[in-house]
Amino acid sequence: MGGALGTKAEERRGMLSKSAAKAFFLGGTAVTASVFLALTWDTFQQIPGRTNASALTEGVKRGKHLWESNNCMGCHTLFGEGAYYAPELTKVHERRGPAFIRAMLKDPQAMFPGQRQMTNYHFKDEEIEDLVAFFEWVGKVDLNGFPAKPNLGAPAQRAQVAGSTGHAPEVFGQVCTTCHSLQGAGGTVGPALDGVGDRLDAAYLEKWLRDPMSVKPGTTMPKLPLDDAQLGALVTFLSSQKLTKEVAQ
Amino acid sequence: MKFQSQKVAWGFFATCMLLLSLQLIYGFIMGFAHAGYDGLHQWIPFNTARATHTNLLVMWLLAGFMGAAYWIIPDECDRELAWPRLAWVQLIALVVVGVTAIIGFHLNWWEGRKFLEIPRPLDFLVVVDVLLFVGNIGWTVWKADKKSTTSMVLFFGLLAAALLYLPGMIPTDNQTVDSFWRWWVVHLWVEGVWELIMGAILSYLLIKLTGVDREIIEKWLYVIVGFTFLSGVLGTGHHYYYIGTPRYWLMVGGIFSALEPLAFLGMAIYAFAMAKKGGRTHPNRVALLWTVGCAFMSFVGAGFLGFAHTLPQVNMYTHGTLVTAMHGHMAFWGAYAMLVLAIMAYALPIMTGRKVYEGATAGFAFWTSNIGMTAMTLAFAVAGVSQVVLERRAGMDFLTVQKEIEIHFWGLILAACLFTLGICAFIYDFIRYGLPTAPLRSGEARSVTPPEILPTAAAARGAV
Ligand code: HEC
Ligand code: HEC
Ligand code: HEM
Ligand code: HEM
Ligand SMILES: [Fe+2]
Repeated sequence: MGGALGTKAEERRGMLSKSAAKAFFLGGTAVTASVFLALTWDTFQQIPGRTNASALTEGVKRGKHLWESNNCMGCHTLFGEGAYYAPELTKVHERRGPAFIRAMLKDPQAMFPGQRQMTNYHFKDEEIEDLVAFFEWVGKVDLNGFPAKPNLGAPAQRAQVAGSTGHAPEVFGQVCTTCHSLQGAGGTVGPALDGVGDRLDAAYLEKWLRDPMSVKPGTTMPKLPLDDAQLGALVTFLSSQKLTKEVAQ
Repeated sequence: MKFQSQKVAWGFFATCMLLLSLQLIYGFIMGFAHAGYDGLHQWIPFNTARATHTNLLVMWLLAGFMGAAYWIIPDECDRELAWPRLAWVQLIALVVVGVTAIIGFHLNWWEGRKFLEIPRPLDFLVVVDVLLFVGNIGWTVWKADKKSTTSMVLFFGLLAAALLYLPGMIPTDNQTVDSFWRWWVVHLWVEGVWELIMGAILSYLLIKLTGVDREIIEKWLYVIVGFTFLSGVLGTGHHYYYIGTPRYWLMVGGIFSALEPLAFLGMAIYAFAMAKKGGRTHPNRVALLWTVGCAFMSFVGAGFLGFAHTLPQVNMYTHGTLVTAMHGHMAFWGAYAMLVLAIMAYALPIMTGRKVYEGATAGFAFWTSNIGMTAMTLAFAVAGVSQVVLERRAGMDFLTVQKEIEIHFWGLILAACLFTLGICAFIYDFIRYGLPTAPLRSGEARSVTPPEILPTAAAARGAV
């Protein structure tokens, strides 16, 4: 503060004067702000490389726009930022795979019957592809190791499913195991599929997978968006699940 | 009340009460959804409830800061506001923009970036509105003969808050860049320039309520805001650990954000010391309780609970979990909500000439809301730590863990009921104070501090 007043105050109140306090505030702020701006500049030099900015396709950009204009961050986190009501989605492409994400966005209710609800946005197929592309890009950003691998107790169940069904079609590991288990690993919403090939024949399986509702009205197994190739592979795989054969081995 | 134009503060304070009530309703909606009852999902999905809850919070805090400034600046500058009528227009505009945004959230119209959900066209209106406010305050300070440190710190805090809203509006296609700028608003507000506002308002209250010499109080104000910026600016790095920014932020953010609690500790010691030092016992004890309580609870919520998850090794596991919600509640409550309630507790009796603070509800409101908020923080803490251990460390599925911790949200709801009871008592008192009266009618006006040693205009202009 003012010179004369400042010195008087200094004399009266010992070591630290108001003007020294003010100098500390202004000086400290100037120094840290300069360092902060310099680091910001350097960060922007590194971001394109760390985020694969060259892979930011038009689809990814549209996906980001859909992410924002629907405020998905109001339930989910991404890069650990957002709300704490729904799963963290940074690694969802790697964890669940595109088939699962498509099924989820087509009809969220169907995938998790009776669970905490996600809004059904009635996305068009192109929009779903944009969101899948966005998640794929997001999953590859270098996040300095986040999210860390769980470091207590048994590893996640999902990893075991993938291991035990190595010869299964990809869509089985991504979508079906959310609800069904095989060899003791997987979800518990639907019945275990061990030995399903003994119980059900190929024609029934195909009809069931095309539209479970038409076979058994009111069932909680959803009609999943599967193309013919995926359907064929699934029917073959399920028909081969025979307990008798497994015992023989 | 010395000046006619200070009355406008009442309009802002009434807005605070209204928006706070609405905020709590949306809090309960989310609490029930977390506890397994999302029956309102069709009409108010969680993301709508959340955006409404947090934006109402930010809006009523900003309205509270504006009310505080319209109250303090004429008093400190010893003159009427430059344009009192513009202040009313600016209040109405703020409410209209706010209500439009809230309705938009219910119609899936928003920007979808946490805390900055307000749709872009409304962002511009917010900026214009805040600039009108800053202009009004700034012109009043400029024309004043005496420019106190308190008024200058308050003015520059408000101006910087307005300017720091702008980085949040930079368009980008890259999620990392998006997140980077978002923190310039969110972090540099609550752990930077809002602390200037907080320091200035606390100084004003301490000068008025304790009677300690202004020179001493303002000297320590500089020291505290000095520590704030020294740690808080580079402390922004604690949000740059895991969003795609370089690894050196782990070091920079870790070290500097770990120092941030010092500023809050300083604020708490300062408030306690001044309250103890003050020889004069001001009759409005409750206002002093809110003032000192604010400094103390901000240290607990921001300083202590902030430190608890700010080191990168810890944050790796707590990042984006309910642990953050635990810290967010206590920090916002202690630092900013209590600050606004403190200035209201001080100004309302003077504004209306009534001494409602003598009744039992005033103390009840303080203790019940604080005990309620402490219990809410504990409920979030138990839920958050369980989530971290089960989901992040043991690798259990997200939804399975959420089922496991539902019970703690019943705890949260119970605690929130207690908290809400305290807030109801505060609002009841607000209503009992009634409308502001003409200046200089109350006995309180006499307790305005005597003419103080004031810096010269030229020296103060270079002050901040
Ligand atoms: C109202 C809250 C809410 C909103 C808004 C929301 N979600 Fe969800 N989402 C959930 C919940 C809850 C789950 C967990 C599964 C369930 O219970 O349905 C989920 C699951 C998912 C999953 C599967 C994650 C996994 O690991 O199983 C994806 C992918 C997803 N959401 C994408 C989105 C996208 C993209 C948006 C925005 C367009 C969005 N969500 C908006 C609540 C929401
Ligand atoms: C959202 C959960 C869910 C998903 C995803 C799901 N199912 Fe199902 N599934 C069920 C439920 C529930 C039943 C039991 C239906 C009933 O009896 O009403 C079922 C039944 C079945 C059956 C009959 C089993 C029997 O023993 O009768 C087969 C086969 C089947 N599912 C295959 C699949 C395949 C293949 C997929 C992946 C493409 C899949 N399911 C995905 C929930 C699901
Ligand atoms: C009054 C001051 C403060 C307020 C109001 C406040 C509030 C908040 C809020 C609301 C968030 C969530 C932000 C988001 O995800 O968008 C947050 C995050 C965080 N805060 Fe604070 N905070 C304050 C001070 C502090 C201090 C002093 C520290 C450190 C010592 C701190 C450490 C953190 C950290 C590490 C996070 C990130 C959490 C995560 O990774 O999810 N905060 N704070
Ligand atoms: C009735 C009392 C309240 C209840 C039941 C409540 C409940 C909640 C819930 C459930 C969330 C969402 C967490 C999530 O994303 O899953 C939330 C967010 C939040 N609330 Fe409250 N709340 C209440 C009052 C308050 C008050 C008084 C404040 C401020 C002083 C506040 C500040 C916040 C903030 C800052 C967030 C965002 C936190 C973050 O992102 O980390 N709430 N609240
Ligand atoms: Fe921060």
